[in-house]
Amino acid sequence: MKSLFTIREGGVASWVIRLVTAAAVFLVVLWVPTRTGAGTILTVIEALVLMSAAMSLNLLLGYTGLISIGHSAFLGMGAYTTGILVSRYGWSPWLTFPVAFVLSFILGVIVSFPSSRIKGVYLALVTLALALVFPQLATWKKLSWLTGGGAGLPAQDAQVAETGFNIGAQARGQMQFFEIFDWGPFGDLRKPDNKAAFFYWIAVVVVVVVYLVCRGLVKSRVGRSMVAIRDNETAAAVMGINLVATKAFVFGISAGLCALPGCVTAIKTGGVSPEGIQSLTVRGAITFLIVMVIGGAGSLWGPIIGGGIYVFVTDKTGSWASDDSIPGVLRPFFGWAKISPSDGIFAVLLILLMFVAPRGLAGVWKQYSPMVVRVLRRPAGAVGVAPVALAVTPNINHPEGEMQ
Amino acid sequence: MELFFQRLIDGLAQGSVYSLIALGLVIIYRGTGHLNFAQGEMALFCAYCVYQFGEWGIHVWIALPMGMAVGFMLGALAEVTLVRPISNKSPFAVFIVTLGLFTFLNWLDGAIWGNQNLPNSGVGSKQQSYPSLFPNARDDFWQPFGVTIRYDRAGILLLVLVITALLFLLFNKTKFGLAMRAVASNTESAKLAGIRTNTVLMVSWGLAAAIGAVGGVVIAGLNSNVNLGLMFTVFIYGSAAATLGGFDSPGGAVLGGLIIGVVENMSSGYAQKWIGQDMKLAVAFVVILAVLLIKPSGLFGTAKVERV
Repeated sequence: MKSLFTIREGGVASWVIRLVTAAAVFLVVLWVPTRTGAGTILTVIEALVLMSAAMSLNLLLGYTGLISIGHSAFLGMGAYTTGILVSRYGWSPWLTFPVAFVLSFILGVIVSFPSSRIKGVYLALVTLALALVFPQLATWKKLSWLTGGGAGLPAQDAQVAETGFNIGAQARGQMQFFEIFDWGPFGDLRKPDNKAAFFYWIAVVVVVVVYLVCRGLVKSRVGRSMVAIRDNETAAAVMGINLVATKAFVFGISAGLCALPGCVTAIKTGGVSPEGIQSLTVRGAITFLIVMVIGGAGSLWGPIIGGGIYVFVTDKTGSWASDDSIPGVLRPFFGWAKISPSDGIFAVLLILLMFVAPRGLAGVWKQYSPMVVRVLRRPAGAVGVAPVALAVTPNINHPEGEMQ
Repeated sequence: MELFFQRLIDGLAQGSVYSLIALGLVIIYRGTGHLNFAQGEMALFCAYCVYQFGEWGIHVWIALPMGMAVGFMLGALAEVTLVRPISNKSPFAVFIVTLGLFTFLNWLDGAIWGNQNLPNSGVGSKQQSYPSLFPNARDDFWQPFGVTIRYDRAGILLLVLVITALLFLLFNKTKFGLAMRAVASNTESAKLAGIRTNTVLMVSWGLAAAIGAVGGVVIAGLNSNVNLGLMFTVFIYGSAAATLGGFDSPGGAVLGGLIIGVVENMSSGYAQKWIGQDMKLAVAFVVILAVLLIKPSGLFGTAKVERV
């Protein structure tokens, strides 16, 4: 493929591109809480939650090739852990994040054991059943002393009213929303709605943490084992990869990371119940899959792109059930539908992408961006050596594989 | 003892619906080796169509074959346009496509009929309740030895047995059935022997969706209304039934469905405090997990030999 510019990794041009991208992301992240309204901030938080959930799912599905339609249950684990610890035991919400991670990690490892025997669609079936059972378990009468039953948390009893759940307002001994600092060029970082901005920063931190963990894992020895398992399980086993241990570990990490956006949702919503948080029902699990596949399975940035697009479209089309709110040009196409068209749009997009770009939008980017700028990779292990145009066989299955 | 038989009968009726969904899953799995996640939603679409035909004043016994025809076309169309072109890419792609179909059909039902329970006088439905295939008035029951056998339950069980028998005849006594079995056992050889495998696969999908349509109409009739979430749990029970019976055995699917139905009813009846109505789904979950861990080929399935 001919490209307009060819630059070297580690050269000046590549650093400029990196810095500009980083600055742009940084500015967008700053722009949302300082320059937009509370409604937008809450919508963006939703996108951030979906992004981190989809990233954790990507670790499992995109990199290891294990299908899961049960990640809503792990998100639910996170939400309920935060809910229970804060409202029943008066914990600081901050401390619930690691606890949620550990509990969900354990649940993930337990679910992973069948996956060493169960393959492909069967695993999808087991995890789908898990996604459907979780909300029932959470609203089970026998567990209502813990989970608050159908009404969810916080339950209406005196102790809870005292400990409170709304962490911005009542929780004791930790940073509160009005303590976010000022910063010269951007003014007050908590503008214009204190609480929404506070939740926003928590969600941003979670996305960054999940991204860094995913990145670290994927680029490590474990990450290469994961990709090997995905591409050919038998070959991976022959090379000495411990399939059971690797799958269990990845399942656990993926589940644990998926619990973190659950904690964020619980804090943001100020209560936990299957009705209040849709992401912990099976609809949530399907949404994570859609976000991940549209953005790009097996790509670090894919879920972030997918989450942004998903929430943008859902938000814009949310009111389209009534015909008057549809913009004029689009009315003939969507006017007949009695519900918002977003699910239909994404279903069609999902199927279309499987035909034209199975690696999602990130895959499209990887395929066509070299037409404009191609970055020549530094050969592995050679620091500071001029890149050689090696005749490397392009491996399109490899997530970071260069299109030569 | 009467209570036991009562629960047995109710469980069998409930389980026969799962059998129908499981049958559809098995027919597709035998032919192509794919698990059709959209099976339940295809059935739901047909159930909505039968409701619509009822609104137009068509009797349910005429509407049912019409609904099955819609199902057949839907299934065949899905196979030809979506699954076949993608099936040589990867199983993951097929999974995502069936999941996309699942989402799309569910959305389509909502877009056409709205997301409330139907029939609903609020949106001007003429029917009082979802049309039942068999008499289901309050006093339509037969009571031998103190066990209440409602006509609609007995009728549904009978219907499922008839469908199973017909399928058995189709598979074992017709030339087309022979072709289907040939494709199921080895597609390449079947093709070399002159069987039109593409037609066979198309008809298999259509057949599966048509059988599912019966299941959809029956469950909506038992539920006396139809709504968007109707098939989620039924699909899980259906796949539990298929897993239990073995994914490549139609007879096993029917038996599996009946067993799941009975187990579900017995466990929720006898362990009212612990399982009751709320945790019935967990039974299906445990069954799937246990079967897959102990005997992944199910009761009647053939163990899959994997060659490296």
